Amino acid sequence: MSADRIIKFELSKLNVHLPVRRLSLREALSSPKPQVVARDGSVHTFKREELEFLAGLLPEADRDKLQLPILIALEPKLGRGTARISGEAEVKVVRQVLKKKPAAGELLIYRPEVAILRRKLPTTTQYLFSW
Amino acid sequence: MATALAVSPTRMELLKLRQRVGLAQKGHDLLKEKMDALVIEFFEVLRRIQEARTKALEQLSVAHRALSMCFAVVGTLETKQVCREAKRELQMEISTRHIMGIAVPAVEVGEVERNVLARGYSIHTTSSVLDEASREFERALKLLIELSELNSSAFALARELEKTKRRVNALEYILIPRLKEALKFIMMRLDEMERENFTRLKRIKAMLEERE
Repeated sequence: MSADRIIKFELSKLNVHLPVRRLSLREALSSPKPQVVARDGSVHTFKREELEFLAGLLPEADRDKLQLPILIALEPKLGRGTARISGEAEVKVVRQVLKKKPAAGELLIYRPEVAILRRKLPTTTQYLFSW
Repeated sequence: MATALAVSPTRMELLKLRQRVGLAQKGHDLLKEKMDALVIEFFEVLRRIQEARTKALEQLSVAHRALSMCFAVVGTLETKQVCREAKRELQMEISTRHIMGIAVPAVEVGEVERNVLARGYSIHTTSSVLDEASREFERALKLLIELSELNSSAFALARELEKTKRRVNALEYILIPRLKEALKFIMMRLDEMERENFTRLKRIKAMLEERE
């Protein structure tokens, strides 16, 4: 295999852990076994205590808007270690978890904050590699 | 370096090489991001292992003290006899959790601490110190299961980290410099050809002017 094909293969493998379809927080809470199927066919299960923690952070009306898992998008063009959080409800939740001031729009977080976020929400967040 | 890639100095090759450098650079940047994310995960697991190990060791020490007490009160032989009668089944669900495509084990254990009656030995012939020792060991078992889950996760993450680091280094120190070197070689060669051509044309022009 040539070097280019190896690189292309590696790049194609980067996001196989992402779900085919994301679940809303309401769906996940009502499901007896809250889980999503990833692109590689594996199953990713959410911890119930995390779902309940998230439900406590959001008003009842926003539970349909929050799509799980929350995607931490790592983009090299933003600079090394910088991640983007998109989605209104997702940004709201992440701001509360990281104790940041509320604001509208996308949220950029940095490596130490990514570590805190992953520590607090290990199953309900996932990395997304984009370019 | 350029000879290692055996490139022919043409514009077509230059375009192809530029694309290859772009792809290699993109791959390098993304794999480096992946490596950083893996480092975050790995250190988080290590932190949890340290906590879990401290807790498990403390609990095991408590359990061993309780067992020593049991040996002293009930007797070594009697305790061993009762242990043979005890039930040894434990219900747990082992599944996998994925961190960036790496399957790490996820163990969900039900209630490890059992009721005195569920342990399987007779409560009429045994002492409460035996129950105490059993309870402490059941608590320790839960912590040990958690520790083993974390250890397996750390191994899986370390393996993936090593693989990713090797790829990043191969791109950073071998492939990208070689491609850039080849690119530089082609550009210099094309410039040289252009200069040769220009000189040739000037010479032809001078010759034509001389003839006229």
